[in-house]
Amino acid sequence: MKNTYLYIFCFSLLSLGSCSLETEPLTQQTDTNFYKNKDDAYTALVGCYDGMQVATGASGMGVPVVSEIMSDDCFGGTGNSDGYNYAAIDEFDITRSPSDVDMLNGNWIGYYKALYRCNVLLQKMDQIDWEGDTTLRKTYESETRFIRAYLYFEMVRLWGNIPLLTEPSTDNIPQANPDDVYKVIAEDLVFAANNLPSVAYNATTSGRVTKWAAKSLLGRVYLYYTGYYGKSDLVGVVTKAQALQHLEDVIAGSGHALVDDFSTLWPAASVDKYAGEDNKEFVFSIKYTYTSDYNGNTDGNHWLVMFGMREFSSYPYGRGWGVTVNSKLYNAYAANDTRRTATVIGITEEKIPFDKLNNQREYTGYYNKKYSPMVDKDGKDLPLTMGSQFWDISQFQDYVVLRYADVLLMAAELGSGNAQAYFDEVRRRAYKTNFTSLAVNSDNIMKERYLEFALEGVRYWDLLRQGVGKASTTIAETTQLLSGGSPVTKTISAAKILATQGLQQIPNTQITLSSGVLKQNAGW
Amino acid sequence: MKSKNCIKTTKLPYFMAVLLSVFMMQFGFAQESKTVSGTITSSEDGFGIPGATVQVQGTKSSTISDFDGKYKIEAKTGDVLAISFVGFKTQNITVGAQKTVNVVLNPETAELKEIVVIGYGSQKKAMVTNAVSQVSGESLVKTNTTNALQALQGQAAGLQITSTSGQPGESLNVVIRGVGSTAGSNPLYVVDGVLTGDISYLNNADIESISVLKDAASAAIYGSQASNGVVLVTTKKGKRGAPGQITFDQYYGVQSVARKVDLLDAKEYATILNEAAVNSGKNPYFTNDQIAALGSGTNWMDKMLTENAATKNFAFGASGGSETSVYSTSLSYLGQEGVVGGKDLSNYQRYNFRFNSEHKLYKDIVTVGENISFAHVDKNGIGVGNQYNNSLRSAFQATPLLPMYDANGNYFDTTKSTEPWLTGVSNPYAMMVYNNQNESDSQKLLGNVYLQIEPIKNLTFKTTLGLDYNVNEGHSYSPIYSLSIYANNAFDRVNQNMNKSRSINWDNLLTYKFNAGENHHFEALAGSSYITYNVTSIEAANADSVFNDLEHAWLDNTTNKDGAKMSMKGSKYENKLMSYFGRLNYNYRETYLLSATLRADGSSKFAPGNQWGYFPSVSAGWIASNEEFLKDSKVFNFLKFRGSWGQVGNQSIRPFQYLALVKSNTTNYTFGNEEGVLTPGAYLENLANPSLKWETSEQIDLGFDARFLDNALSVNFDVYKKTNKDWLILAPILATAGANPPFINGGDVVNKGVELSLNYQNKIGDFNYSISANGAYNKNTVGQIPTSDGIIHGLSNELYDNAGEFYRAENGHPLGYFWGYKTGGVFQNQAQIDNYKSANGVVLQPNAAPGDIIYVNTNGDDKIDASDKTSIGNPNPDFTYGFSLSASYKAFDFSLNANGVAGNQIVQSYRNQAGAYGNYTSAILGRWHGEGSSNTMPRVTEDNRNFTQFSDLYVQDGDFLRINTVTLGFDLAKMKQSKPFFASQFRLYFSVLNLYTFTKYDGMDPEIGFGSSNTDQKFSSGVDVGYYPRPRTFMMGLNVKL
Repeated sequence: MKNTYLYIFCFSLLSLGSCSLETEPLTQQTDTNFYKNKDDAYTALVGCYDGMQVATGASGMGVPVVSEIMSDDCFGGTGNSDGYNYAAIDEFDITRSPSDVDMLNGNWIGYYKALYRCNVLLQKMDQIDWEGDTTLRKTYESETRFIRAYLYFEMVRLWGNIPLLTEPSTDNIPQANPDDVYKVIAEDLVFAANNLPSVAYNATTSGRVTKWAAKSLLGRVYLYYTGYYGKSDLVGVVTKAQALQHLEDVIAGSGHALVDDFSTLWPAASVDKYAGEDNKEFVFSIKYTYTSDYNGNTDGNHWLVMFGMREFSSYPYGRGWGVTVNSKLYNAYAANDTRRTATVIGITEEKIPFDKLNNQREYTGYYNKKYSPMVDKDGKDLPLTMGSQFWDISQFQDYVVLRYADVLLMAAELGSGNAQAYFDEVRRRAYKTNFTSLAVNSDNIMKERYLEFALEGVRYWDLLRQGVGKASTTIAETTQLLSGGSPVTKTISAAKILATQGLQQIPNTQITLSSGVLKQNAGW
Repeated sequence: MKSKNCIKTTKLPYFMAVLLSVFMMQFGFAQESKTVSGTITSSEDGFGIPGATVQVQGTKSSTISDFDGKYKIEAKTGDVLAISFVGFKTQNITVGAQKTVNVVLNPETAELKEIVVIGYGSQKKAMVTNAVSQVSGESLVKTNTTNALQALQGQAAGLQITSTSGQPGESLNVVIRGVGSTAGSNPLYVVDGVLTGDISYLNNADIESISVLKDAASAAIYGSQASNGVVLVTTKKGKRGAPGQITFDQYYGVQSVARKVDLLDAKEYATILNEAAVNSGKNPYFTNDQIAALGSGTNWMDKMLTENAATKNFAFGASGGSETSVYSTSLSYLGQEGVVGGKDLSNYQRYNFRFNSEHKLYKDIVTVGENISFAHVDKNGIGVGNQYNNSLRSAFQATPLLPMYDANGNYFDTTKSTEPWLTGVSNPYAMMVYNNQNESDSQKLLGNVYLQIEPIKNLTFKTTLGLDYNVNEGHSYSPIYSLSIYANNAFDRVNQNMNKSRSINWDNLLTYKFNAGENHHFEALAGSSYITYNVTSIEAANADSVFNDLEHAWLDNTTNKDGAKMSMKGSKYENKLMSYFGRLNYNYRETYLLSATLRADGSSKFAPGNQWGYFPSVSAGWIASNEEFLKDSKVFNFLKFRGSWGQVGNQSIRPFQYLALVKSNTTNYTFGNEEGVLTPGAYLENLANPSLKWETSEQIDLGFDARFLDNALSVNFDVYKKTNKDWLILAPILATAGANPPFINGGDVVNKGVELSLNYQNKIGDFNYSISANGAYNKNTVGQIPTSDGIIHGLSNELYDNAGEFYRAENGHPLGYFWGYKTGGVFQNQAQIDNYKSANGVVLQPNAAPGDIIYVNTNGDDKIDASDKTSIGNPNPDFTYGFSLSASYKAFDFSLNANGVAGNQIVQSYRNQAGAYGNYTSAILGRWHGEGSSNTMPRVTEDNRNFTQFSDLYVQDGDFLRINTVTLGFDLAKMKQSKPFFASQFRLYFSVLNLYTFTKYDGMDPEIGFGSSNTDQKFSSGVDVGYYPRPRTFMMGLNVKL
């Protein structure tokens, strides 16, 4: 065995190469080294805002667009050779496009991704070193919970029956009773309303959630829940009197007010006179900017382009994919109502040489002016003039969730002692010198809301909270439209709306992934 | 952490001990002796063989024959003398009473001499028990391709190689024995022992041989990286004692597109547009007089393509060796211009340098050597990707009514055009020119330095340090332009990027060959390998260049200060792999063969605890022709049966999937009133899966190798079953989980197949000829996908805007099968529509009009919807085959190579169905336009209603047979010369590449390597959304050997 040493030597040579397999990510943090300090907390909070921005601006079909199409404000429109998914939504009728079983899957995913960010941050609140700054913790926690509440509110209105998670989970979770969802929404908003600093709106960076935003949204949630579900209070968390008090607080203490000229709220209606995104009337907006690209940046308003005139620009209005506005809306305004020309683009009325009838489906002659892509005087899309390369996904108009006018009308609707004054204030701004007072009552408030908030994604929910019956008869319609330049008959039947209870399709992919734990909504 | 990882190899000590004990087996026999002598002669010419070895088996006693073939040796009666000489069959002769033993040695057949390169070593071909195909460098060079992989096409059974694009320098898809994973099918490449991801940098002239390890047993020695098979490349080495030789090879060729897509000309286009308008309830756009006046319009196909693009190659080589040192070196250049856009837009140039040498020191005890190759590649190219990044595709659908230039000679801009067929349409040639101003160069240095010690005979220790170093830099320029309302650039843009990857491996190998008794031959190998890989990259872009061209498109020339127009990124990551492996080969009388291997791999891509994987294999063979009953067979010259089983792995995923990562880039919110001001945020991006482990491929292979007819005909046959399981997949999860799904292990695919190779070579006088053919049948079936619906869904928006999902990986189907509506012809009249009912009497397509497509109600319910979609095609061929013919007569030589596939389908989508005015291929001329006019192609409408749902209208058979190379050569050196000729070879040849393709597919090229634009969905293939075709090349060349 003289060779034994040799073998041992050789064996040891073989093991020479043994080395560590230890590596770590060099360009990314992980959950073990993040969520540690106040800076991390702020970054994570911005991540929640970003989640909301992506869920509402860059995911799926654009809920403001969908809300308008479901309402009696807009038709599905879009391109003449496009699929019929917008028609299916418009008419609450999946037989219009039977293969579209996943129309809102992108939205569904976007919402739950944003919720996950909020739930993770809320779960990590205790492990963050706040350095004794409990006010900061409460502020961040309030903002996070507001975002969560806002997301859940949009979802539960749209689908009615959704899984509810208040902490991260990979479980297969069945759809919750809507009451449970509203309870989370109400508690989150009450927490935010109580814990956010009581300072005037303009003492906070524009875009951040304020105490006033929380209180105002609480009013909207209260009205929608009690209306749609026919309840007398908000799941035992907020009474009518409390809801009203929150709104009165906003009116008394927020510093918000109406801008003088209605048209200055909307960039395409006022151009140079635009009041700006941080004007005193906007209580809460979701902010977008022009930095979206195809490399992962999703800061833009990706749905605004749906409202543009079909493939046609005419200063100051930019091109888009042509969701059309029902002429009924244009005709609902009195000639002396300044909101008419601020709300609707009239092709004939404004002598716009629109020549893309061949490409436009369900043409009415009207488009959305409140949310319209814009071009400069040379016809160049505004996002491009700002420096973006992508005119379609880099639209940057913010989505105004809540305006002060809404706060006034909600307070009036909830029976404020100043109801008539609030009501008149909104109408006086609209009619200017032609203002004549109208008695405040529930019917008149709803009519006024139709005119005031048209094309802002509010109308459909205002109808639905008056009951599916009322909503369906208001929306149902048979009319003549032009598709590809040829006349077609458009029918939206009340029966289909009733069959769906006004709710939307649950994405089939999610139902499949849940092995049937998730149930499709009736009518879909 | 460190030590824990290193000693985690619990099974290892046991495994090494077994191997060591094998080394230590020693046997000996006692003996008495007498002197035996004789002469060793060759059976070929009867002359004595000098230098033959005579060994008394089982002893260390041996001698060597003298100049006349005479020998003397001490031996005992009953001893066995083994007489051997290179190139001759070894003879064993038992010593009897006689003192003179004369021996006649028979030369070995070429096949028996052949050595096959296997993992970490080589083996006599006859002794191989696995499925290994070896292709010589010579037959690669003959194909005159720019890429060794392309040269391999059709040369080995079970190897399917497909261009991803005909653009010079583009990569190829290689599938060995069927696609096995959703993560792609690319095999592991090993060049001179260095693991690398790509061999397109190699010049064919530098390759000695390529071995393809097809079964798991042969690949298992490469463990965790070998699940898609292994391709071993050996570069040329010098030969011991060979005189120095200089070679020079050159060719020059011109390339053109072999077949174009037939698009509608202006008159046909206008006619179809009119018909679509009428079918959509509108007035026609053009009167007959207008149509007659249109002429043929712009032929965009012709505008995009370039005739006679050049390709050229020069290779200079030198090699030689003394008794102690050998060397081989080369220098080469290759240039290929693109046939789309020409050399300004699509071009490839490569410079190669190689130096290999080996030196024996201290009486052959120590060997040192190195293999170094360096490649420099200059490249630019046009978009050849998905529907949005594809220069050719836009030419397929641009209207022939769009002019190339306006009145001022500028590219025509449709921004102000009002004709509906022009609005939004951009000049495809101008788009190609504007959007593809780029160039890049890359350097690859691949090689190793090794030291081998043989302290005692047949025991060697070898340590090797290898390097694979890649640097790539590029830049591009995107000018300001305006071509249409959708295609315009408001500001210019300069992009500059650089990346670098470095892989270092350190291998230590111990091998020992020994005999136990006279009939038991062992060959043992143990080794370790450590690989560390890291890659860094940086990329930045900015606007407002002071120069307006590509030459000056460097970041220093940009003046923009607006953050929104800038972008930058940079990253680094690393991974490590530690391996131990061993192999034991055993044979009994070179008749019963056995081989076993085991590799243990630890990879940093997985969480501690799951880092180590073990990959075993065994194989066995029986050379029946050595048995008594076949020894003198007139039928079989050689017959070997073999079988193997093994497991190999796959770890090709992004690292750190076992961690929950925080995403902070592109996570911003915009507080405040100023646009474009971003505040960075962060969130947890993915769900962690700490239990992630290796993907495993298990394979059983049975086969035989045989030779008949005096060794003229050789046959190799294999059947196999390959199961790839525990795929590393991103299985979709419920949205409520809230983060990106983790990679999980799940799903499998079974590939079963049969392979057959035949080779016949013979000669009639001076006429030598050979025919080889190979074919492989493979069936691919997916199973066990761990999602509730058993499906990995394909992407949407791949074929045209808003297109739905059309391919899937689904249980019970082949990977990437095409999923859509089956059509049942075209409705000829209203009565047929009214009568097209379900079993319950419900009219299925009430909204259809005559001329619309009939969708088959496959599930028998009362409506046509997504649940009627079904399998309408398979992108994976059932059968792949190749054949080659070669012949030579005196100074002339001829060769032909062909390959083909059968049984696959291709999806073709050239037109964006979102618009009414895109151009069509001439297939639309066969559309329905009145009862009885067509039952296959539906009517045209402006909303494209018959084409917006994916159906079998998009699917065509992809069978083809391509005549790849035909060469005719003439060697001046073989002519009878009056004086000695200066060269041993001076061959002129004429060659045609891609001479002709037999296919019914109507696209430009049926060899479609494109599948999906997403790297996580590499299982998709056979999708033609506009494909850069392979050119046809006519070339002349020269080979000189001095």
